[in-house]
Amino acid sequence: MSFIERILEDPERFKRLKIGFYCTLVLIAAAEVVLPIVFHDDEAHAHHFDFEGWPAFGSAYGFISCVVIILVSKLIGKLWLMRKEDHYDS
Amino acid sequence: MTPEWLHPGLVLIMGAWILPFLKGGLKKFGMLAIPAAAMFLCFTMSEGTYGEVSFLGQELVFGRVDKLSLIFSYVFSLMAFLGMVFALHVDDDTQHISALGYAGGALGVTFAGDLLSLYVFWEFMAVTSALLVWLRREPEAERAAFRYFLVHVFGGLVLLAGILLHGHAAGSFAFEHFGTSGGVAWALILTAFLLNAAVPPLGAWLPDAYPQASVTGAVFMTAFTTKSAVYVLIRGFAGTEFLIWLGAFMAIYGVVYAVLENDARRLLAYHIISQVGYMVCGVGIGTALAINGATAHAFAHILYKALLFMGAGAVIQMTGKHKLSEMGGLYKTMPITLGLYMIGAFAISAVPLFSGFVSKSMVVSAAGEDYRQWIFLTLTLASAGTFLHTGLKLPYYMFFGKDTGAKGAEPPKNMLAAMAIAAVACTVIGVAPSLLYEHLPNALEYHPYTLAHVTATMGMLGFTALGFFILLKHLDPEPKISLDTDWFYRRASGPFMRLLQGPLTRLEYGFIGQLYEAVIRAPIMGMAKAMRILDSDFINEAGESLARSTRNLSETMKARVGGHAQHYGLIMAFGLFLFILWAVTLR
Repeated sequence: MSFIERILEDPERFKRLKIGFYCTLVLIAAAEVVLPIVFHDDEAHAHHFDFEGWPAFGSAYGFISCVVIILVSKLIGKLWLMRKEDHYDS
Repeated sequence: MTPEWLHPGLVLIMGAWILPFLKGGLKKFGMLAIPAAAMFLCFTMSEGTYGEVSFLGQELVFGRVDKLSLIFSYVFSLMAFLGMVFALHVDDDTQHISALGYAGGALGVTFAGDLLSLYVFWEFMAVTSALLVWLRREPEAERAAFRYFLVHVFGGLVLLAGILLHGHAAGSFAFEHFGTSGGVAWALILTAFLLNAAVPPLGAWLPDAYPQASVTGAVFMTAFTTKSAVYVLIRGFAGTEFLIWLGAFMAIYGVVYAVLENDARRLLAYHIISQVGYMVCGVGIGTALAINGATAHAFAHILYKALLFMGAGAVIQMTGKHKLSEMGGLYKTMPITLGLYMIGAFAISAVPLFSGFVSKSMVVSAAGEDYRQWIFLTLTLASAGTFLHTGLKLPYYMFFGKDTGAKGAEPPKNMLAAMAIAAVACTVIGVAPSLLYEHLPNALEYHPYTLAHVTATMGMLGFTALGFFILLKHLDPEPKISLDTDWFYRRASGPFMRLLQGPLTRLEYGFIGQLYEAVIRAPIMGMAKAMRILDSDFINEAGESLARSTRNLSETMKARVGGHAQHYGLIMAFGLFLFILWAVTLR
């Protein structure tokens, strides 16, 4: 997989990869807003809740979920659950 | 058992014992032929009831074959085959026999139409799977195997108690739906099923034991115990309301632990808990769509989770490392493993065109159709967590990230082949879901590929990735472990043992022991002493004096009787001769 190596280890190419990633995200979010309107996709049967119809709900909820999961889990871990690896040996 | 029906589980359990007698290429052929034969039997089986046996006045049914048991038997037998391909290079007959027996036990549970035969196969699975952990033959693994075994023995006893109470009350051991609420028997059976489904707080055995199993053994373990538990839950407890909440909690629980986890296979193990949460939730919702969803998700899950464990196992085997903090940069030396692993990761993350997308969404949609918005939101949040860990964190720290100098190489060809077959299966199900849907227990239409569903999923996955890269530095795996409910039997048992050894022991020796001494032991000892005296002074003396008098008598006789023995002999013979002569002539 030398092509991955070339991309990851060349700062110039890596920068382009990052820009490409952000552009894709914008496209995805835009698609989520625009496509249902363009295709008149009034899939009332697919929407069980109002919030599913909010613009780019999937994208927003995905981002929020990710941040909440990481921060809350780390907090629980630091305050309570995480111990030294030899916790059970001593 | 009727001759026209052969139990595929029995083929695996008994067939495995041929392996030690085979050598070289023939052994490899046998390792593949046995699960292939079981697979053939499952895929060609038609619905009906087979293998009815009357035993000690009870009707045992070894072959209840309907749509629900068939689809589970397909994936269990397929998994047995995949697992054996993955383990083809391993030269350890005991492991192979255990693994095939374990898969056979799962098929036995699947086809069991009565609770007694179910119980036998249930316990058989516990023993054989514990062996797969134990057979890594490291002290750490042996301890984990022992804990695993004790937990499952406990679960088995709970199940047995439940079955006996249920059988007594219902007057039959037939395995049917137990109802959505019930008494002690109902609760005991449900508890045993939930224990095997690794539902917290009863599920800590899973992340404790699976990462300790051998590289190939762990692949088998991911498939059978939890998914056979999902099967019996569907069969016995569909529609039980509180399972919905338990399942949703479980889905989040696994995700939280996966954030903290540093051991590659333990991270994946926590995601088994998370994914089984979707299935338990589906069982709880209990509608036709939800049951189809739980079944389809179990099917898809077995294949992609096996693929993920194979990938992580390959890395562990080739590098000798199992902690994420000690890996990194392996994409250069293990690109094929990375590629195949990522297919599994996409499948578990429910990326469109992969199997998880068409199975997980059924459960989520079922929650939607039932207007349970908090369940819907929780399951969707857990989905983001799944992609975050299995699709981003694990591959990032394992294959990319900081190169820690761990040396890797592609694993043996058979391991890659098993991964490739699993990857193909994950993709085929994702691309052509009707292949899976037509075998689901309930006949109904479901279309995963709607525009809204695909765009919302892509948005969710894309922005989860964004969150991951923004918070990357918070995610660096730390060389720590996280407390789970196994703490109660690993650590809290310490004070309990001290209580036993301190006050309780003193009470035992000081009071009960003394009481025992005074009331039981002392009288018995006294009596024994009296008996001994009686024995030695009286009975022995009697015997001895008898012996003495006999000896004296013989001494006296010896003194009286003298002469030559041959003369006496001759005279006796002559006398005898005369006697015979007299007797003969007289007639």
